[in-house]
Amino acid sequence: MKNQSFRNTLQLAVALGATALSAVAAPQTFDFKDPKGVNNVQFRLDAPLEAINGTATGISGSITFDPSKPSATQGRIVLSTASMTVGNPVMADHLRSANWLDVASHPEISFEARSLGSVRTEGNRTLADVTGLLSIKGIQKEVTVPVSLTFLADKLGARLGDDKVKGDLLVLRAEFVIQRSDFGLQPGKMTDKVAETIQLTLSIAGAAPRA
Amino acid sequence: MKPSSSVRSALQVAAGLVLAGTFGTWIATGSHRGWTQTLSMELHVDEVTGLTYPVQKPGFVAGVEFPAGGAALAAILSGLSLVVRRRSSASSVSAVQS
Repeated sequence: MKNQSFRNTLQLAVALGATALSAVAAPQTFDFKDPKGVNNVQFRLDAPLEAINGTATGISGSITFDPSKPSATQGRIVLSTASMTVGNPVMADHLRSANWLDVASHPEISFEARSLGSVRTEGNRTLADVTGLLSIKGIQKEVTVPVSLTFLADKLGARLGDDKVKGDLLVLRAEFVIQRSDFGLQPGKMTDKVAETIQLTLSIAGAAPRA
Repeated sequence: MKPSSSVRSALQVAAGLVLAGTFGTWIATGSHRGWTQTLSMELHVDEVTGLTYPVQKPGFVAGVEFPAGGAALAAILSGLSLVVRRRSSASSVSAVQS
């Protein structure tokens, strides 16, 4: 009788443990639409005559990430071009005009991850070279971007300031450069004031709530 | 002191002040190599994720048009002071001749 009870308890514990493990290890989809407005892309163009610094916060998209198998990460991040701004309002208008980003016809910039290479994980942080399709002003180009992914288990409630909300966070950081001529942004023109090389810094966090 | 002399001095002092003021403002607001900005960016850190994010605030950063415009205005004022000097010299000579 005693042995039977012990066996039942053990079976229950194993079943609960397996359920918990499968819940943690399963791929999760993280939504990158940020209610706090923290997610951002910073861009910098350093031309001989002018340095342009700007930001964009209109970020959405989702990434499917499995902490036990980060190399299988997939997803798409979208940036609203209308959210891109610089410190000078006139320059911001030029940036959004048809000559440059043409926000009216091309409201989104997107990056779709296709594969991960050089994946290395240490603790809750994974570093990888993500290859995917970057689409700007209707032109798609394959780029490889060094990315840092930090998995923050059970931190969604803390971020939202509500302990009742359960879920995980995925923090994604990336720094890379692109050439504006690759995406038809006035190639070869005004290079003394608008640099050919655009430096991009991506700082975003996605949420995967649990029921 | 002749009136023309005081005008000339005033123009030269004004040229110096404009030049010093515009260069000083440009340097004091960070010697920004670009056009004047009316929004400044402050970086904050999100406590939970550790992400750095910019917060835009109204703020004045003088652009290169400040020292350039100041130098141009100072040159105009200095030029005017030279014109005043020549005119006053010419009127003095004509007064002596008559």
